[in-house]
Parts: sequence; C-alpha cells; structure tokens
Amino acid sequence: MVPLEQLHLNHVLQTVSALESVILRSFGPEGGQVLFTRDTGQVMLSRSGKRILTALHLDHPLARMVVRCVWKHSTITGDGSKTFVLLLASLLRIIHATASKETHMFQSHNSTKAAEAATARHLADKLLEFALTELDKFIVLNVLPHGFCVSLENFTAKTQHNLSFQTLLVSFFHTRLGYAYCDFFRNLFCELLSHWKVKDDQPSFSIHLLNNSFPALHTQVSGVPVSCSRLIEGQVIHRDFATPCPQVRKQPLKAAVFNGYLQPKLLTTGDVLELRCGDKVTEDRGIVHFSSWTERSVESIIATLQSFGVSVLLCALKQSTAVLAAATQAGMCLVECVSEEEISLFTQLSGVTPISDCRRIHPEHIATLTFCKPLLLGAHRCVHLDFHDCEERLKVKPCSLVICAPSEGQADQHACAFQDAFRMLLTALEPMHKTQKKTIPSEECTSLHADNISNEAACRVHLHQKCVIETGCVISAGGTFEFLLHHALHQYGHSCSVSVNTSAVSQLLAKALLSVPRQIYSHNLKHFLQAQTRVMALIPRQPNALSTNLIHTEGPLADGKLSLCSCNKGNMSLKLLDLGLESVSCKYQLVLAVLQCLTNLLRMNMLLRTHTILHTKSHNSLNAHSESSEDEDED
Amino acid sequence: MALNGDEEDFEWEPPTEAEMKVIQARRERQDKISKLMGDYLLKGYKMLGDCCEVCGTVLLQDRQQKNYCVSCQELDSDIDKDNPALNPQAALSQVRERQLAAQVLAAAPELNGGPTSSLASVLVPQPRPEHCEGAAAGGRALLPPPAVASPPPPASTTTLAPIRPPVCPQNTTLQPVLEEAEEAVLTKLRWATTQLQSSASLEASIQLCSLISSCANSLRSLRELSQ
Repeated sequence: MVPLEQLHLNHVLQTVSALESVILRSFGPEGGQVLFTRDTGQVMLSRSGKRILTALHLDHPLARMVVRCVWKHSTITGDGSKTFVLLLASLLRIIHATASKETHMFQSHNSTKAAEAATARHLADKLLEFALTELDKFIVLNVLPHGFCVSLENFTAKTQHNLSFQTLLVSFFHTRLGYAYCDFFRNLFCELLSHWKVKDDQPSFSIHLLNNSFPALHTQVSGVPVSCSRLIEGQVIHRDFATPCPQVRKQPLKAAVFNGYLQPKLLTTGDVLELRCGDKVTEDRGIVHFSSWTERSVESIIATLQSFGVSVLLCALKQSTAVLAAATQAGMCLVECVSEEEISLFTQLSGVTPISDCRRIHPEHIATLTFCKPLLLGAHRCVHLDFHDCEERLKVKPCSLVICAPSEGQADQHACAFQDAFRMLLTALEPMHKTQKKTIPSEECTSLHADNISNEAACRVHLHQKCVIETGCVISAGGTFEFLLHHALHQYGHSCSVSVNTSAVSQLLAKALLSVPRQIYSHNLKHFLQAQTRVMALIPRQPNALSTNLIHTEGPLADGKLSLCSCNKGNMSLKLLDLGLESVSCKYQLVLAVLQCLTNLLRMNMLLRTHTILHTKSHNSLNAHSESSEDEDED
Repeated sequence: MALNGDEEDFEWEPPTEAEMKVIQARRERQDKISKLMGDYLLKGYKMLGDCCEVCGTVLLQDRQQKNYCVSCQELDSDIDKDNPALNPQAALSQVRERQLAAQVLAAAPELNGGPTSSLASVLVPQPRPEHCEGAAAGGRALLPPPAVASPPPPASTTTLAPIRPPVCPQNTTLQPVLEEAEEAVLTKLRWATTQLQSSASLEASIQLCSLISSCANSLRSLRELSQ
C-alpha cells in the first residue's frame, strides 16, 4: 500500500457521485425514506440528508470531508443537505467537463491530469469569488421581487404574512415528515412558539432560546399515536425521584440545585487523604473519624435547607446513600443525575444559581415552584414541575413538548424535524448581510403606478445607494429560486458588459443550478418544462423594470434602510403558495457553502496514510457507533 | 467558453462523432458505477480510502471485511458475456456467424428441388443453443424447405426434410457429390421422357411434364453450383 497517493479529479467526482446517488432517492417532495437497522434491532427512519449521510460507513477521507461539510451546514440552517450534495455533484461534473477541454491553460504541468486539476481549482476559486461578491446582487434584483416576506409578529392571526409563515412551516414539515402530519405539527409548532414568545422583544430571541434548549424541552414517547403529541406547562425533567415523594405538598414549593456532591466522596483510586487533627497528622481512627464527620456535615446541610423550607433537591451528580437517607428522613424529594441542559434551563427559568459549595447556601440559591410531581410519559416516569411567577418575571409561559410516535425511530425523526425547523427559521429570519452593506448601483427607478393595492400587499421598493436586505424573505418552492437565478446569471453571462472569464463563470453556475429542479421533476420531464415556463412567465420583459404592482416612493426611508418586502400578485401568489415556500436566505447560504466546500475539495491533491487513529472526537460525534479502524488523513 | 482569451498554440476542436460516442459511453458507465456504489453504501458497505488497482474505482468493503470493486466485479461481466474464450455460447454464435459470412460469399442458391439423401448426409448435425437461434434462422432462410409435392413414382428417393445449412463444404468434396446428383437427375429425366412418349392419359402426361421441368431446374442448380 502506497503511503502517498495522488488525488485526481476523477476520484473526487466518483466519491461525490456515490454520495449523490445515496441521497437521490430521498430528494424532492416525492422522495422516499431510508430505514436503517442495526443488529441490535434498533431502527432509524429518516428523510433528512444529514442523518442519512452521517449514518454511512465512510473511510474515504474525501467522502468524510463532504459529509462533515454537510453536517456543519445543516447544523446551522437545518435544511438543504440533499440539495447541497446534489449541487456539489453537478458543479463537479461541469467543472470536470470544462477542465478536460480547457487544459491548454496550464500547459506547464507535466501530465494532463495535473493540468486538469489545476484548471478545476482555478475555476472553483473564480466561482467562489464571483459568488461572494456578486451573487447577492442577482438575488436581490431577480429573485426577491417574486417572493414574500414573513415575520414573527403575531403569527397566529390570519393575515397574508402569517399565511406565508404557516405555509413555510408546512412545506418544511412536509419534506421531513410526509404529508400526513405536516398540518398537525405546524399547529403544535406555532403553539409552542406562542407560549415561549417573550413579549415586547425580538421574536427571534425566543427561537434562539428554543433552539439551544430543545434537548431539555422535549420528551420522546414511543408506543403512542402521533396525535397524542402535546404541550405540557412547565418543565419536564427526564429523571425519576430518587427518594419517595410525599403526596401532600403545600404550595408553593422551594427547590435548590446542586452541581456537586452533598457528601464529599471518599477515597478513589490515586487519591491521597491527609488527615490532620490540629497540627499533628493522626493515623489511628483517621478514616472512621473522617467519614463520621462527613455524615454530620450532610446532616447540617439538610438542616440548613430545611430552615429555608426547601423540599425539592435537583442534583447533577449521583449522590451517596447517606445523602439519600438523610433527604428521605427530612421529607425532601431528591432527583439526581439531572442533565446539564436541564439544569441550565431550570436556572434560566427560575432565576437562581446552582449551589456549588454546600456550606454556603443563600436565598438566591432557592427557587420557588408551583408544583413538583411525578409524571408518567409512555413507559418512563419523569419529574414535572412549574415555576412560580415566571410569567411576570420573564414574560414567558414555559412549556414542554411531548412528541409521541408509534416507534422510537419515528419519534426521533419528529424531534429532529422540530429542531431543524427552529434552525431553518433562524436562518430565514436573519438578514442576508451581516457584516457588509452592499452598494447596489442606483438604476433608473421606473415609476410604476399600481391601481389596486390591497391591505396585505405592502410593497415598497426603493432602489437606494445603500441597502440592507430585510429578513424573512421566502419564495415558492419547487425550483423557483433556481430557475430565476439561472435565468439572471445566464442573461448576465450573455451581456456584453462582462469579461470573458466572468461570463464563463456565471454561465457555469447557471447551468449547475438547473440540476436541482431537474432532479425535483425527474420522474416527469413535462412537469419540469411546465414549471420552468411558469416561472419564466413571472419575469418581466424589460431587464430593469420591476413588476407592475410596485410603487415608487419618494425620499429615503427612515435611517437609510431599505425595506424590501413582498409583492402580491393576486391570483399568482395563491397558486404559488400551493407549492410550498422556502427561505431565500437559506438558499443563498447553501450556494455559498457548496462553493466553499467545492474549493476546499479541489485544493486537495494528495492522500497521506497514517497508522494512528486521528479525529476520534469528531468521528464519534458524527457516527452513531465508531469503528476502531485505521484512519487516514488528507494533506 | 474560453477562459483564457489568448491561447497561443493550442486550438480546441470539438470532438468528432466517434469521440462523442466514447465520451457518452464513458459517462454512462460512470453513472452506473455511482449508482451501484450508492446502493451498496445504503446496504451497509463501507467506502474505503483505497482504489482498485485494475480500474481505479473506489473500493467497498462488506461486513465480512471482503473488498469489493463495483466496476470489476459487476459491470465488466457484461463484456465477459461476449468473450468467446469464456463463454461457450458466445463461441458457438461466433462460429455460426463465420459460416453465414462464408455462405453469403459462396452465393448459395436456393435449392428448390431434389436434394438427395447424399446431400443431406453432408450436413453435420450441430447442437443448437437457444441464443444462436437468430444466427441459425438467418442461415436457414437461405435454404427454404422445398415445398414441391413429390411425384407419385415410388422410385423417388428425394427426402424433402428441412435442410440445415451445410458446414462450409470444400470444393473437392463438392464435385463428386454434384456429379452423382446430376447423374441421378439425368436418369430420372430420361425415364420421364420415355414415359411421356408412351403415355396415353392426360393426368399422367401433366405429371410427367412437371417432373421433367423440376428435373431440369435441379440440373440447372447443380450446374450453377459446380461453377
């Protein structure tokens, strides 16, 4: 086995094509689900590209790199992992075809393969540069006018904006969970959001909170029909009481959270215990004396807690039997081994700090609960508690989600879909430019007059010198984004004002983008052509004119910000809503991420084999079970 | 779509028809390989970091730690099917094709009449696998089974069985065969002529005349064959 291996464009293409064929059958609205089984009988059911790809056994470093890129992208945007691989594969194919024709550029290289690789690298760099500098201009001018705006302001009301928001959620759940339950989950999701929405504050704050604490906020229950999924008020701790819980409780209860051990652990392997009595080191009766001292200290801690009126103890670690006995005797409920996320959520909602030093217990460590009782969810008993005056303090009504499904695999699938929905919303609602303000060249504003303006259609487009794209732009699904961007890039490539290189690059990207809708409608070419015709009909004849429903306002808006909202096209908008909606921001991020991954892939030209296992941590985090095999690293 | 505007000494020409076919075939093969690899990955095979030494495809490894190359072990067997060294049926079909070619070159005529049993005995019986039916059927078409009713005289020993294509008869063995056939036909012709001269009934005369005409046709064919 050669320790050093040259990587050729063929290898890259073959690896990515294999990954593409893995996800191809699950792609699109008619895509199927993949059922993974283990020898232990555990099943995993998924349509999410990220889960499918991370479940594969891959030892090839290129494949692992691509899967890692997909995983990272999906962790941030929550969606689009299959589209990622599809776009990457089609870009690679086009670059490969172009590079084999254009190798004369780098004739200084020794072999054709090296020249091909150099051309491909050059093309990828140019593509990335083009996308980073000019792509957003195309999206703003050519894609956004055909889209809608969603916002989280009062999303339960039945206005146009909220219809778009609901449709966005429904289409997302449809792609993940199928047609049967997408409406049900959409309602559940909106209910969860409305409970957690912090009043008079940024709506995305609550989504951030939900996204970060989702593992602690939901419980998966298997063996129960899906329609039993519901919200429970308060928090659910996924542990049972370690001490018997007396039935009668006076309200409100007091609780305390412990980070460490109440009784200091005695000797473990490697510890040296030095016992002092005054100044001398005693040796006789040392350990007995010490353990009786620790037991007395536990009793004093419990006595202090009793003086505060604490009756519920939440502990992060497993406590000793002496502590359990003391707590039972004092009539306190104790829950041990509470996970870190649950403790952090508890402290956030109750406003207390966990006790790290047991000898210093102060009032700010004591939380007030309305109730704390055991709860049976499926086959497990959990602790159910609610906070006193949380609504006044934090302006939020905490609730926990119970996700029910007939099997564990399905419950897991639903929970992942929920989590990814939060991430998708966060990406959709964040502005497309965070760091730089783009200067869109001020074109001649064609003053178009609209006759009938409905209340829902707030359309104000004003081409200004400096603009920041507003958040929450969505567009109809089914390839509309790709068709529009393809058309725009294609026109740009053919226009006379661009250089030959830029034209080539933009046409390359345009061609690659078309592979996505082509795959969506792969079962029926007629539908592809129909979809393309329908989308092309939306594009106005004049290149710089905007749609007739837009109004031109005079003067700059407040603080120089441009508000680019949706435009209602009457019947057309309703028809497009039938197809579902997807976020423009997610798509833009996807294209950028794909181009960056492509550049990194093509920069590699050598494989180095090592005989030690590298990346064990990331290897474990990606795969459900790790194999201890020889690992290889790339140059 | 030139990226470099000023290429000095290399002019890219579009690929020719044959090259396009090769490129297309290669692309289809790569697509097939990718699809197969994807299927195996979903079945639980592991994608290794090594490539096959023969074809350069990425290797897969199954649960029993056995390496598997998709293109060598699955796709290339399509070509092995046509290799005569590996497949007896392919060998037979190749032999049959060669016979057909030789027959066409020898301008095999349509033998309507009087193939004698001696001619039939020249044919070597061959095993007939189903795959080679097509080639054999083509060969058979050149020699349709003669449908002429045999004349009532019992002396006729003409066997009108479906004729199998002869196995490349050499010219040296053909000559005595043809001479014998000619001899037999001439004999029959003479006999028919004498019968016709002494015949009284109309029916008999008509039959004898038809016999004479078929004998003459056979003679003509035999003469053409001998040339």
